Amino acid sequence: MKKNLQKVMSLLCVSALSLSMLAGCGGGSNSGTTTTETPAATEETSTATEEAPAAEETTEEAAAEEEETTEEATEEEAAEEETEEAADDTAAADGESTPRNETLYEAGQQWGTINDWNPMSANSNNGLALSANDVARELVYETLFMFNPLDGKLYPLLGSEYSWNDDQTELTIKLNPDAKWSDGSAFTAEDVAYTYATHVKYQSSQGSDFSTYIDSVEATDDTTVVVKAKVADGKAVNPLKVTSILNTMYMLQKAYLQTVEERNGEDADKVKQDTMEDLVHTGPYAPYISNDQKAVLQRDDNYWGQAASMWGKLPVPKYIAHTIYKDNAAGQVALSQGEVDVCQQFITDVQNMWLEDDLPISTWLDEAPYGQCEAIPSMFFNVERPGLDQKEVRRAIAMAVDYEQIIASAMSGQSPTFDEYPRSVVGPTDGERKYVDFDAIADLQWKNADVDGANALLDEAGIKDTDGDGIREYNGENLSFKAECPTGWSDWNASMEIVAAAGEKIGIDIQTYFPEASSFYDDMTTCNFDICMWSAPGAGVMNPYSKGMFYFSEEYAKLASNWSGNFGHYMNDDAEKILEAIPTETDEAKLKEYYTELSRILLDECPAVALMYRPQLFYAVNESVWTNFPAADDGRNIPPTDCTDGYGIAALYDLELVE
Amino acid sequence: MKNTIKQIFHSGKFLFGFVIFMFILLTVLIYPIFVTADPLQMIGQGNFFKPGTYVSVEESALEKSYNLQIPKQFSKLEMVLDIDTRANIQNFLIKQAGVAESEIDVTDAEGLVALWKANYDPNTKYKGLTTAKRKALKRLDNQITAAMKDSGVIVAEKDEEGNLKQSKIIKDTDYVNIKDVTTKTFILGTDNFGRDVLTELVAATKSSLKIGLLAGLIATAIGLLLGLLAGYMGGLADNIIIFITNLFTVIPSFVILILISYSVGDKARGIVMVGVIIGLTSWPWTTRSVRSQVISLRNRDHVNLSKLSGHSMFRIIFTDILPYIASYVVMAMILQISSGILAEAQLSMIGLGPATTKTATLGLMMQWAMQYSAHLNGSWWAYFPVVILIALISFSLNLMNTGMDQVFNPQLRD
Repeated sequence: MKKNLQKVMSLLCVSALSLSMLAGCGGGSNSGTTTTETPAATEETSTATEEAPAAEETTEEAAAEEEETTEEATEEEAAEEETEEAADDTAAADGESTPRNETLYEAGQQWGTINDWNPMSANSNNGLALSANDVARELVYETLFMFNPLDGKLYPLLGSEYSWNDDQTELTIKLNPDAKWSDGSAFTAEDVAYTYATHVKYQSSQGSDFSTYIDSVEATDDTTVVVKAKVADGKAVNPLKVTSILNTMYMLQKAYLQTVEERNGEDADKVKQDTMEDLVHTGPYAPYISNDQKAVLQRDDNYWGQAASMWGKLPVPKYIAHTIYKDNAAGQVALSQGEVDVCQQFITDVQNMWLEDDLPISTWLDEAPYGQCEAIPSMFFNVERPGLDQKEVRRAIAMAVDYEQIIASAMSGQSPTFDEYPRSVVGPTDGERKYVDFDAIADLQWKNADVDGANALLDEAGIKDTDGDGIREYNGENLSFKAECPTGWSDWNASMEIVAAAGEKIGIDIQTYFPEASSFYDDMTTCNFDICMWSAPGAGVMNPYSKGMFYFSEEYAKLASNWSGNFGHYMNDDAEKILEAIPTETDEAKLKEYYTELSRILLDECPAVALMYRPQLFYAVNESVWTNFPAADDGRNIPPTDCTDGYGIAALYDLELVE
Repeated sequence: MKNTIKQIFHSGKFLFGFVIFMFILLTVLIYPIFVTADPLQMIGQGNFFKPGTYVSVEESALEKSYNLQIPKQFSKLEMVLDIDTRANIQNFLIKQAGVAESEIDVTDAEGLVALWKANYDPNTKYKGLTTAKRKALKRLDNQITAAMKDSGVIVAEKDEEGNLKQSKIIKDTDYVNIKDVTTKTFILGTDNFGRDVLTELVAATKSSLKIGLLAGLIATAIGLLLGLLAGYMGGLADNIIIFITNLFTVIPSFVILILISYSVGDKARGIVMVGVIIGLTSWPWTTRSVRSQVISLRNRDHVNLSKLSGHSMFRIIFTDILPYIASYVVMAMILQISSGILAEAQLSMIGLGPATTKTATLGLMMQWAMQYSAHLNGSWWAYFPVVILIALISFSLNLMNTGMDQVFNPQLRD
């Protein structure tokens, strides 16, 4: 009905406008009745929208020439055009505008002026080009292989194939002989070896991480690299981790790295802080514009990937642009107005964008949970705090939380429920779930918001409220905890509020605390919190092993600055033994046993509790300008990683302009 | 005194403001008597449910139904096929299905649907369509199929073996009386946590008024005391007090407010604490204006007479000076209350107000509505009533203030 009203109103406006035009012209009365005009009018408006990009192009060419406002344009469209024109004007004033129909606009990846292009940097904010995790961003720098979270496989990029020797101590990588640097020189095995050596030499975070598991990376000929794993008792320490170098480490040029080292006097801090603005890279895009308004990458038309051995063509958009938005809301408005094509942001009730507002916006799935959920945001209990060192307290909190409320309201329904995918150490994808025997741990699962059960558990453990203030005591101290996560992360903030509400019902005082992200990071990485929230890693070559490490690893807990997991310093010898055994185990049945046991410990001891499932990256696309984005049912096996990450970059080669 | 009050109530402005304020106050006091539900209870599973009455679907399906032969004003099909949809279908038929334009008559719903059914296949991937459009057409196809279905939905239950057993048929002439089934009315819908906005709003107004009142009282008390002392004593005392006051005036009070609230920590920030913090930071202007009033009063004849009679300083201040500025102080307090409520809203908006799970305040409601972008989703009920209420409270208080001003200020007296 609302839509009808809107339509009628716009039709009224249109007819009023055209009538006044006709009256103004005087004579020429060919006004038809409203009914017959109706379909035609709608058609006209729709073509007007489609023409928008073309019209814009002319605007830019003629440098802010005033656009002719057609009388058919409804009020809404006029407003839209005005904002677009205004945006164009400012861009044109900078002399830095890029044609809309050659530019793919992203949102939700870059939140400030880019500070460096250095993959070894520890404090880079460059979200547009650098994201060296399992599903690495492949726009500027490239990894040897691309990970596809849909099927869990590695796809060739700079490397063409890899193989382990029989006793899993040596990983041999064949490189693509066509691969070239942006300066035209060939990409060789020497570059790979030198990249790794430099990471280790200057102890970048990746370097120090990998050097525990990798003995050396050597070039045996121009296109062959051999990675030798660290060996203990004739077995590699962790072959899984070694494999992950394939899809997580960005390749850098030996000659360029030597220049960087030289100009910084081989000083570790200086090398890691070098901005690398004169970068040499292999990826299809190069830095073009970077300021506090936006960051733009330009396609390198000599990109090696157009060789038949790789993509056979260039990616379609000439530019990848990312406007620096103030906040989520600004990005969301831009998406709904078609100024953004791919949006990596959490959007409340995202389905209303197409169901109610009729916008050409879609997500990976048409129905809830709308995205490809792989990560598990979880809350960690600091087991060194009195009270939280009791498993009954941890478990009681876990039982009392209303997870369905978290999923329905905090996550706006964009997560499967724990009824559909019961809790365990693995994520909600089939590839991971086959590793856990859910029947075996079914009796440890708890039902949603089980306040009575939680109260009974605490009473039984003798943790009672003796002084009558409504809060239970442990060793005479009130159970009072702070649940923290960074401010402004709205879905997480709301989740923590729901956890706090659960605490109230079982006589445990939980306050929420939302500090700035940087001080939250300090608290989390140094175990200076009561309850904190962080997300278990999404899909990756090492999964579900990396999720097991995330929840239990003692090694992580011992790090001085721990970004990886087990933030609450929970130590369990059984779990540790299993974590040591998994990497070298190849028998599926045995692995299943291990992961089931880990899940059993997780559910029984509750060192951390999964609050929801969540996509690694949010993904909503607006098809006003570009179309043929990946969708779950298109059969292309391209993941919804915003056309930038891992194998998801394949989407850039298939994009088409909307006709 | 009686006369003064009578005079005040003769002022139209004051009366108007007073009526609004009392209305709000009474609602806040009376509503919880009738609605005893916890205002912070998360009922709705989802974000921002629309205002309206929600009817239990299960009960409606199972409850005794009444057969009403209401002539259908419109067929279901006509309802699905609005102008927009027809144009869409026409577009699809011409562009994707290759039907000649002359064959399509958009005014004939039946014919159009027949053409649609003949040409559209939900499993085909049509060229030249965006994904969004393809999905929209699929939804449209489902709608049309549903609209074309004959009357009668079968309700079935699972028996022990898991087989479906038909238990009831619901016809399109079946109606239930809304009194027979469980309903829940959300006059103002629900918020992002699924809480009833109206109940929450009343509770929030109550706590905001408490905070405002407390802040206003504290600020006025401090301001009045310092102003009286500085104004009457003069000299060194005046210098010291006015120096401190100036210090506080120069530093934006909101910044101090943020700093104090932050350092107090989340745990201690209840209604009382927030009220006290706001009160402690907003007194300087009261001090300044009270002081200037007192300075003009202290050389009046009656004050001098009291001094000559050997009355103590406090007696002079309280009997010879205070009554003369009492009306002004009351007006200042009203403004302090109003700005206290606003300050709470501002504080909560940046997450430094009371805890979300413990109290409802107007600022917190705004903050969560913003975080879940209610203003972008068109969920007006989550923030608009709050804005209106804040506006109404400060409007009514300011109106009372101006009304009183007109009575007390000889220059404004008609």
